Amino acid sequence: MKRRNVAVIGCGQTKHSSRRRDVNVAEMVSEAVYNALEDAQVSAREVDAFVVGNMPGFGGVAQPEQWIAESLGAAGKPVLRIATGGTTGGSVGQGGYYVVASGLHDMVVAVAWEKHSDSKEAGATTGLLHVGLGNFFHAAGYGLSLKNLVATSVVGAAAGVAVYQAMFYMHRSGCGIEHFDMVAAKARRNAAKNKYAHLQWPGCTAEDIAKTDIVTYPFRYGHICPASDGASAIVVAEESLARKKAKQPAWFKGLASYTDEENQLQSENFGGVGVTDPSEQRGCWLSAVKAYRMAGIVDPKTEIDVAEIYQPFPSQELFFAERLGLFDEGTAWMALETGETEIEGRMPLDPSGGVNATNAIGSSAMQRILECALQIMGKAEEHQVPKKVRNALAHGWGGVTNYSTVTVLGDTPGR
Amino acid sequence: MGYLKDERPTTIGVEGGWNLGAYHYKGSRLLEEYVAGLKHKKLTGSFCPGCARVIVPPRNLCGRCHRKMDGRKTVSDRGTITCFVVSPPIYKGKLKVLGMDPVEIGLVKDGQVVIPVFVKFDGSDSNTDTVLLNADPKDVHIGMRVKVVWAKELQGSLADVEGVEPI
Ligand SMILES: [Zn+2]
Repeated sequence: MKRRNVAVIGCGQTKHSSRRRDVNVAEMVSEAVYNALEDAQVSAREVDAFVVGNMPGFGGVAQPEQWIAESLGAAGKPVLRIATGGTTGGSVGQGGYYVVASGLHDMVVAVAWEKHSDSKEAGATTGLLHVGLGNFFHAAGYGLSLKNLVATSVVGAAAGVAVYQAMFYMHRSGCGIEHFDMVAAKARRNAAKNKYAHLQWPGCTAEDIAKTDIVTYPFRYGHICPASDGASAIVVAEESLARKKAKQPAWFKGLASYTDEENQLQSENFGGVGVTDPSEQRGCWLSAVKAYRMAGIVDPKTEIDVAEIYQPFPSQELFFAERLGLFDEGTAWMALETGETEIEGRMPLDPSGGVNATNAIGSSAMQRILECALQIMGKAEEHQVPKKVRNALAHGWGGVTNYSTVTVLGDTPGR
Repeated sequence: MGYLKDERPTTIGVEGGWNLGAYHYKGSRLLEEYVAGLKHKKLTGSFCPGCARVIVPPRNLCGRCHRKMDGRKTVSDRGTITCFVVSPPIYKGKLKVLGMDPVEIGLVKDGQVVIPVFVKFDGSDSNTDTVLLNADPKDVHIGMRVKVVWAKELQGSLADVEGVEPI
């Protein structure tokens, strides 16, 4: 297959916080885009096209891409919107790769965002209802009992999905709630070193997190990601432009996005769920295998230098790290105990603080790619990992918990 | 940095409602078959000719083989808990379901916990979402054996399965 080599040559983000009431979507998105253009030292004129995306229905505007063009300087240029649930940002980043690798465009901006504060209900009702309405409405026609609906409501949409996953993972790996405390503390500590992150807590310890109340066992308040407003953007270019514009481009070496059958919400027609362990995440495993093959990576345990894993809940950092082949099955929590996953550890996981500290949903999986690019370019400032980064792994997760994106960035094109 | 419209300092909201009834959905008729079985205390699953999995309630297509699940199999109303969640206590005025307070309308007692569970019914290969009844939250565990609590009056509706209870 003939593909052009492609690299990230610039990164831009907004500061993430609970409420960016001072800007609208277009203004917020343009902030990230302008920062990325400045970082890449290119003008908006040089950009051929824009790949954009956020979660449908989470903000106040259903089709924000229709009115961000003028703010981005995109009028008269192609704007392609991609929305794949929680993986949106990962898909937008990969979309940026596709349009350049294919030869269609030479330089594009890929930007993803979420503005939760534009919805009074922080996405949880309006946005997530879009995910679940079809099957609930259908089942309601057959006498779905209110008691069962109460049960669904108390577990709560995304948190509920993650609670089940966590229970499965604890059962099969032997990890405990104290390991979730450790992951969450690490996320907040790392976030304190990332000036764009949302929940920053310098020096946060597992004991600090353990003092917070249980929401739904095994999750405490201190384990749960915030709902953030924010945007993140990357400038993506083909090889000759990338070499000209960037001292150290972050090359796309391998990428893949796989799904699996729906694994939690009883499907469109309220049928049973065929995946009996929602933490199995076969789509993630398939994506990783494919992306490593494309990147020429044989042993991810030694060849991946840093990983940004999509972990709105701390349990997810652990089992996804295993699914991504960075640790043996059921052992990621042991590596956590020995500090291997710290910024200065052997296999740093989420040095930026990750989604657990900053969750502007549409943007979250894009941030993983962006953060990996920063690590390769050596621009991650205070949360830069101390070792030389040759390969960095960016992961995204979403769908009805069955979608995954995996992107391997490297310091060379790899072929 | 970025393009800023500076005539308004903050975002604004407007009052209004949203009519969910404006949407249409087309579901399958499989649930009709399933709830007809419930009326006779029968749990119906669909069988995949590709991978031999039995899914309860039935589905049209196998998610992994993409084959029509035309076969039917009745599975036991006894099974094993594969996963559970113990909710925090539900207090009056804290939770709204479809606009109603579950304590106020008598669905749960004030301060009661609910225990959503996944159950793999004997003879099936799927998780079925339901709730655990008549059990002490401290005793719940993965692998716990349970059986269906059938409604007193069976009506051929999803509500015929009130939940499961320990055997
Ligand atoms: Zn099958």
